[in-house]
Amino acid sequence: MKRYTLFLLPLVAVALMWLSSCASHPTVPSSCKDTQCQPAIFPDYCDVTVPCNIAPLNFMLPTDEYQACVARFSMPDGQQQTYGDGVKVQIPESEWHAMLDASKGKSIKVEVWGQKGDEWLSFTPFEIHIAEEPIDEYLSYRLIEPSYVAWNYMEIVQRNLTSFEESQIFNNEITSVDREVGQCINCHSYQNYKTDNMLFHVRLSNSGTVIVNDGKVSKINLKRDVTAFGGAYPAWHPTAKLIAFSSNKTRQAFHTSNANKIEVYDEISDLILYDVEADSVSVICDDPELLEVYPAWSPDGKYLYYCKTIPLPEELRDKDIRSTYSYLQYNLYRRSFNLATRAFGEEELVYDAASVNKSATLPRVSPDGRNLLFAEGQYGCFHSRHRDADIVCMPLDKGCVVTQEESLPDTIQGRERPQLFDLSLLNSKDESDSYPTWSSNGRWIMCASRRLDGTYSRVYLSYFKNGKAEKAFLLPQEDPEVNTYLLKSYNRPEFMVEPVRISAREFSKVFEK
Amino acid sequence: MGRFHVSRKVSKTICYASLLTSMVFVVFMLFLNGEVFYTAHERSEFLYGTPFFHTLMSKPFGLMQYVGAWLTQFFYYPALGSAILALIWVLIFYVGKKAFSLTESSVALMLLPVACLLTSVVDLGYWIYIFTIKGYWFSQSVSYLVMLLLLWTARSTPRRWHIVWYVLGLCLYPVLGWFALLFVLSLAVIEKPSWREVVAVIVLIIAAPVWRTLLYSNIKPDDLVMAGMPHFETPNDVGKSLSIPFFVLGALTLLISSFGRYAKKWFVPALSAVVGMVFVTSLRFHDKNYINEMRMVRYSQEENWNEVLNIAADAEESTTTMTMLRNIALMNQGGLLDRSFKMGNIDADIYNPDTLHVGFLNTAAPLAYYNYGLITEAIRLNYEGSIQTGFSPFYLKMLSRCCMATGEVKLLERYTKLLHNHPFYSDWEPAPPTKYIKELQNSYSDEITGVENSDRYIVTSICLWDKVNSKVASEQALFYTMIRCDANAFWDVFRKYLKLHTNDDFPVHAQEAYILYLDRAPEEKRMMLPVEEDVYNRYKAFTAQLESKMKPGTKLGTVAMDMQKEWSDTYWYYYFFKKRTY
Repeated sequence: MKRYTLFLLPLVAVALMWLSSCASHPTVPSSCKDTQCQPAIFPDYCDVTVPCNIAPLNFMLPTDEYQACVARFSMPDGQQQTYGDGVKVQIPESEWHAMLDASKGKSIKVEVWGQKGDEWLSFTPFEIHIAEEPIDEYLSYRLIEPSYVAWNYMEIVQRNLTSFEESQIFNNEITSVDREVGQCINCHSYQNYKTDNMLFHVRLSNSGTVIVNDGKVSKINLKRDVTAFGGAYPAWHPTAKLIAFSSNKTRQAFHTSNANKIEVYDEISDLILYDVEADSVSVICDDPELLEVYPAWSPDGKYLYYCKTIPLPEELRDKDIRSTYSYLQYNLYRRSFNLATRAFGEEELVYDAASVNKSATLPRVSPDGRNLLFAEGQYGCFHSRHRDADIVCMPLDKGCVVTQEESLPDTIQGRERPQLFDLSLLNSKDESDSYPTWSSNGRWIMCASRRLDGTYSRVYLSYFKNGKAEKAFLLPQEDPEVNTYLLKSYNRPEFMVEPVRISAREFSKVFEK
Repeated sequence: MGRFHVSRKVSKTICYASLLTSMVFVVFMLFLNGEVFYTAHERSEFLYGTPFFHTLMSKPFGLMQYVGAWLTQFFYYPALGSAILALIWVLIFYVGKKAFSLTESSVALMLLPVACLLTSVVDLGYWIYIFTIKGYWFSQSVSYLVMLLLLWTARSTPRRWHIVWYVLGLCLYPVLGWFALLFVLSLAVIEKPSWREVVAVIVLIIAAPVWRTLLYSNIKPDDLVMAGMPHFETPNDVGKSLSIPFFVLGALTLLISSFGRYAKKWFVPALSAVVGMVFVTSLRFHDKNYINEMRMVRYSQEENWNEVLNIAADAEESTTTMTMLRNIALMNQGGLLDRSFKMGNIDADIYNPDTLHVGFLNTAAPLAYYNYGLITEAIRLNYEGSIQTGFSPFYLKMLSRCCMATGEVKLLERYTKLLHNHPFYSDWEPAPPTKYIKELQNSYSDEITGVENSDRYIVTSICLWDKVNSKVASEQALFYTMIRCDANAFWDVFRKYLKLHTNDDFPVHAQEAYILYLDRAPEEKRMMLPVEEDVYNRYKAFTAQLESKMKPGTKLGTVAMDMQKEWSDTYWYYYFFKKRTY
C-alpha cells in the first residue's frame, strides 16, 4: 500500500496544481462601504481603449493596503463574470477573448471591490472600451537592465499581444566565445512589420549585423571603406531590399548629480544605405560638422526621414562635447528617394524643433503616410534617458514645417502651420516617453516609458483616431506583479504582424562560419 | 571470541570518536565562517516572483539553484543557515550510508563527501564578491542529498525496475544536472547493469541531444555539459582550484559506490576523519582582513561607526576597503584630521592566493560613494554590481538608500517591496541619509564623467570639492588632497578649509601637512600660520632622521621599517612611505 502511496503523491500534486490554475469566480461582497472613487488598480486600466484582440487586462490592488479584490465584468449584452484571487484579478484567456468578442466597438463595465481589514470597499465602476481595430499580433523588445557600463545576460524577445506567450529570438550567451570581451545585442528591425526580412546587431565578441533576407540568415560586417563606423540605427525600406542606417561613434557619460543620470551622445553620426542583395554600402549624407541619425522611411518608400543637429553657436564649436552636449538639438528632415536610380533628393526641413529650444528624434511615419510620430526633449538624441522627453505627433498631409511656438506666423517657408496632435493622454508627466511606433493599421501607438518609477522602461499602448490619442495602458501581463519584480527594461519595442520563426540556435549558426 | 569482541568495541569507539571529532570540526569551521555566511546571504540573489524563477528554470539545474538561492536567505542568521547546512550534511551522511549499504566502520566514509561540501563553502575567499553561480551555497549539498535519496530508493526497488531508474536519472538531468549523471553512474557501479540496461542507457545518451534541443534551444552546448558543476569564471578571472571539491566529490562517490562496502577496517573512520579535516583545512581560505572587511561593511551599513573604528583599531594593517570605511567612520564621528593618519592610511594588499581582480570596488565602493554623498555614482556602481552578480540584498538595500537620498519614491517602493519578500527583511526600511551625506550631496554641481571604475576615482572626485561651501566637503577635500600628496592642489584646498573652519581647532594632521608643504612650497604660495610647537619639533626630528637614514643604496622599504615605530602616526610617514599613488 505504501508503495502505491508514493506513486499517488505526484498525481495528487498535479491535480492540485491543475485546480489551482483554474480561474476563481468569487461572489460579490454582500455588504460594503462605497468609497466614491475609482480603484487604485495596477496597472491603471480605468477607462482605457484597448484592441479587440489584446491579452487579458489582469490587474491588482496594492498588496500593502488590501487583502482581497473582486472584480465584476459586465458585457454590453448583460452577461457578467466575476474574478479575483487574493488582491489579483487574473482572467483566463479564453473567457477574456469571449468578452472582447461580445463587446467589440462597445465597452465593458468593471466594478471593483477591495477588502481592507474586515471591511469590503466598493469603488466607482470604470469602463474598458473595446476598439473595433485589432493590434498587431506580435511585439518584440530587448530585455536589459537599465545599465550603465556593465551588462550580463540580454535577450531579444517576442511577445504575442493576444496572449501572454513570450519566446526568445536571440540571446547574447549562445554565441559568445570570448567572455573577456562579452557580447551586446541590439537594434532589431523588420521590413514592413514582417519577419522574413529583419536584422539585429551583435557587438564586441563575434560582432556583426545578423540579416535575415527572405528567411535566409547571414552575418554582415557593415564597416566598409566609405564608412567610418558600421551601421547602428536601422530602417528597412518598405518594398526594396535596402536598409538605411546611421553610422555612429556613440559615447556614454554619467551625470554626477543630474536626475537624468546618464547621457548618451554621438561624436560622429552619418547616414548610409545598405543594399542587401548587392552587399554594398553607400553614403546618404555625412556632413562633417553636423550629426545625422535615426533614419525612417515613409510607408511608400519615397522619402527618408531623419534627424540632424543644428550648428552649435560659434563660441561652443571647438569645445569638448562634454561641455556642449546640452546644446545639441536635432531637427527633423527628409529627402526624397528614387528607387530606380537609388538617388536621394535635396534635404527638406520637416520639423524645426530647435526653434522652440527642443530636440526631435526617432521619427516614425504612420502607415497611411499622414502623420509623423517622434520623441522630443530639450536636447540630445537619446531621449529614453531624458525625463522631459515626450512623444509628439504631427500631421504630414499638408507637407509642412512645424514649430510649436504660437507666436510664429501661420506660414513658414510658404506653408501652412498645422496644430500638433493632442497626445497628453499618452505621455507621462515627469518621466521619459520615447521610442514611439505605429501599429501596421495605424490605430495603435506604442512607446517605451519609464513612468512607473523613472528607471525601468515599460511598453505602453494607446489608441489613436482622428488626431487624438486615448489614455495609454501598460502592456498586460499574466501576473501584474511582474512589472514590479522584473528588474529589466523593455528596450526598442517593435510591432510585428507575425512571429520570428528562426530559433536562437539557428541564428547562432551564422557565428560558427 | 573475547578478542574479537574487544576489537569490535575498539573499532566502534574509534568510529564514534572519529565521527564526534569530525562533527566538532564541522561546527568549528562553520562558526569561524559566520561572517562569511552573513556576507553570502547579502551578496546572493533571490528574488520573489516569476521572472527570477523562470530565468533559473530556463537552464538545466535551475530548480536546484532556485532552492539553493532560497535557502541562502537563512544565512541572515549565520547560525541558522549553518544549522540548515549541517542538517543537510547529517542527512547526506545517513542517506549515503543506506544508499551505499555502508556498515560498521565503512559508515565513516561518508565523512569524505561532507568534507568536500564543507570545503566548497569555506574556500571561496574573495570570489564571494564576484561569482555568479546562483544558489551556490546550498544547491550542491541539496542536489547531492537528492541524488543519494534517488540512489537509496532505486536500490530498494526490485532489480528488474532498474532500467526505469536509469531512464529517470537521465530524464532528471534538467533538474539535477551533473548529479543526475552521478546517480546513473553510481547505480551502474553498485549494481552491475545488464546488457539491456547498458543498451538502453546508450540509446538515451544518443537521444539526449534531441531533448536538449527541445528544452534548451537557447543555450550554448558548452553550458549544457555537466550542468550544475560550479565553474568559477568571470570575464577577468578563472578559479580552477575552487572546482576541486566537486571533482573529488564525484570521484569519491564512485569509489564509495564500488568499494565502500568493503572498507570495514578499524582505522577507516580515523583515516576518513583525518583526511577530511586535512582536505578542508588545506583548501580553506583564511585571512583576518577578509573577515574584518566583511564586518566593517556590515557595521557601516548599520551606521555603527564605533564598531567600525574598533575593528580598524584592532587590525594590524588595513586594506583599501578598511581604510576607506574607517575614514568614513571618522567623518561621522569627528576627528578625521586628528586621528586618521595615527590609525594608518597606507593600504595593505588583500591576501589573495588566486590572481583574482577583486578590491574596494567589489567589496564596499557603493557604500563609500553613498556615504560621501556621491549618490548617482553609488547608483551606477550598484547597478553594475547587480548586473554582474545579481540583485542581492546588499545591492537592493544600497539602491533603496540611494533612492531615498535622491527622492525617487516609486523606485524606492519597488526595491523595498522586493526586499520585503525576504524572510528577514519584511520590516526593513532604509535609514534616511545622514546630515553629512545630505550636505555633501547638495554641495557640488552636476557634471558628466566617463567610465571611471577605479579606486582612484573616489579620491580624485573628493579632491575637487575645493570650491564647495561646505565644512564637511572642505575637510574631505583637504584630507584626500593630503592622501594624494598633491602639493599643487594643497594650498587652494587648505585655504578653503581654513576659511570655513575659522573658529575650529587646527587639526594635528592638517598642521603636519601644512608644515611639510610649507617646507617644500615656493615663496609665493606660502602662508604663515601658528602651529603647535610639539608638532613643529617632531617634524624637525622626522626630517633629520629621514635624512640620516636615506643613504645611497638604502631601500625605501628598509627606511620605512626602521621609522615605522616612531613615526607611523604622522602624515609625514604616509607622505614618504605610501605604497600607492592616487
